[in-house]
Amino acid sequence: MTTRPSPCLSIGELSDYWTTDISLDEIEHIEAHVFECSACTQLLADADLLRRGIGDVARTGGFQAFVTDSLLNQFARDGVRVRTYAMDAGGSVQCAVWDDDDVLVTRLRADFSGVTAIDAVLRLETGEEWGRTSDVPVPAGSHELIMALPAEFVRRAPEVPIRLSLRSTSALPGDAPLAEYTFDHRGALSRRSK
Amino acid sequence: MVRAAATVACMPGPDTAPFVDRPDGDLAREVASAPAGQAAAAEGELYRRFARRVRLFGVKHLRDDMAADDLAQQVMLIAIERLRAGEIRNPDEIGSFILSTSRMVATGLRRTERRREHLHMRIEPGEPVDMPRDERLFDADRIKPCLASMRERERTILLLTYYVERSATEIAAAMGMTAGAVRVARHRAVAAMRDCLDARRSA
Repeated sequence: MTTRPSPCLSIGELSDYWTTDISLDEIEHIEAHVFECSACTQLLADADLLRRGIGDVARTGGFQAFVTDSLLNQFARDGVRVRTYAMDAGGSVQCAVWDDDDVLVTRLRADFSGVTAIDAVLRLETGEEWGRTSDVPVPAGSHELIMALPAEFVRRAPEVPIRLSLRSTSALPGDAPLAEYTFDHRGALSRRSK
Repeated sequence: MVRAAATVACMPGPDTAPFVDRPDGDLAREVASAPAGQAAAAEGELYRRFARRVRLFGVKHLRDDMAADDLAQQVMLIAIERLRAGEIRNPDEIGSFILSTSRMVATGLRRTERRREHLHMRIEPGEPVDMPRDERLFDADRIKPCLASMRERERTILLLTYYVERSATEIAAAMGMTAGAVRVARHRAVAAMRDCLDARRSA
C-alpha cells in the first residue's frame, strides 16, 4: 500500500508517457505520481507492454488497416515483406500472395474531393460480404488511400474476383459508391512448388 | 558499499508478506531503524515495489531494456544503502528520493557509454526486476484480435503511435484530424485494448 498524493491517472493518460509527443512537464507529473502510487505503476507497466505488443503485431503484418506511407517506410526498415498493387477507380488487377509475403498493400486511387471519411466493403462475386471497414478518415486533398491486409488473411480468400467498394461515410442509401475496384484473386502461390 | 547492497537486489528469500500492505514510509523507517542487513523482508518489499518503477523510468529515458535493468538495480542499491546509513531524513518521501536518484543515475548513464560499462562491471548479476503482471496477456497472439476489434481510426492511431512512433501532430496531419482529437482517441483506444485483453483473459 502506498500513499496517493495526487489523483490517479487513467491508463490512457499514462500511455502518453510512451509517446513521442509528451511534454517534459507531463513526463515529470507522471513520474512523480507513479513513484508514489503502486496502482498507477501497474497501469504504466501495462501501457508499456501494450505498446510493445502492438509493435510486435505490426512487425508481422498481423493487422488490417488503412495506413500511411510512414507506416510502409517502417515496414521497409523492419524487413516486413510487402506485396503492393495500385488501382485507379474502376480498375481491376490480377493478384495473388506468395508464401513469403507478410502484407498485401493496395494503393486505391480516386477522387475523394469533399469526402472526410469512407466505408469500405469487400464482396465476393456471389455478393457475399467478405470484409468491411467503417469510418476510415480521408485527409483533405487525398487522391489515394492505402489499404493493408495481412497476407495470411488473403491466403484464405477464395480464388474468385473480389470487389471492393468505397462509399462516403455520409452517403445516403442508394448513393453510388465513390469508387470500386476488382481484385481478380489468383490464390496463394508457393515458390517451392515452382 | 555496492557489494553489501547487491545482496539486497538478489534477495528472493525473506518473507515480505507482513509488509505488503504497509505504506512506503513504514518500510523505509523499518530499514532505517534496523541494524544493517537485519531488515531483509522490508528491504525486499521496498525493492519489489520500486525496482519496476525505476525500470519503467529507465525504459523511457534510456530506451534500452538492459540499461533499464541496470538502472533499477543501481538505484535500489543506493536507496537501501542510504536508508541503512540513516541518510534519508524523511522516510515518508522515499518515493521522491528514489525518483530523484533515478534521474541522477540515468543522466550519468546517458552521459557516457564508458560509465555504463563500468557499472556493468561493478554490479553482480541479480534477479530480474520483478514484473508480476502476466506478460503473456500482452503477447502478439492476444493483442491481434483486440486490435482487429478497434474502430478503424483508433487502430491506425495506435499503429502510428506505437509502431511508427509518430507524434499526435504528425498523425493528425496524416489522418485529417486535430492533434487533440488524436490524443483523445488514443486514450480511448488504449483503455479499450486493455479492457479487451482483460476480458479475453477472463473468458
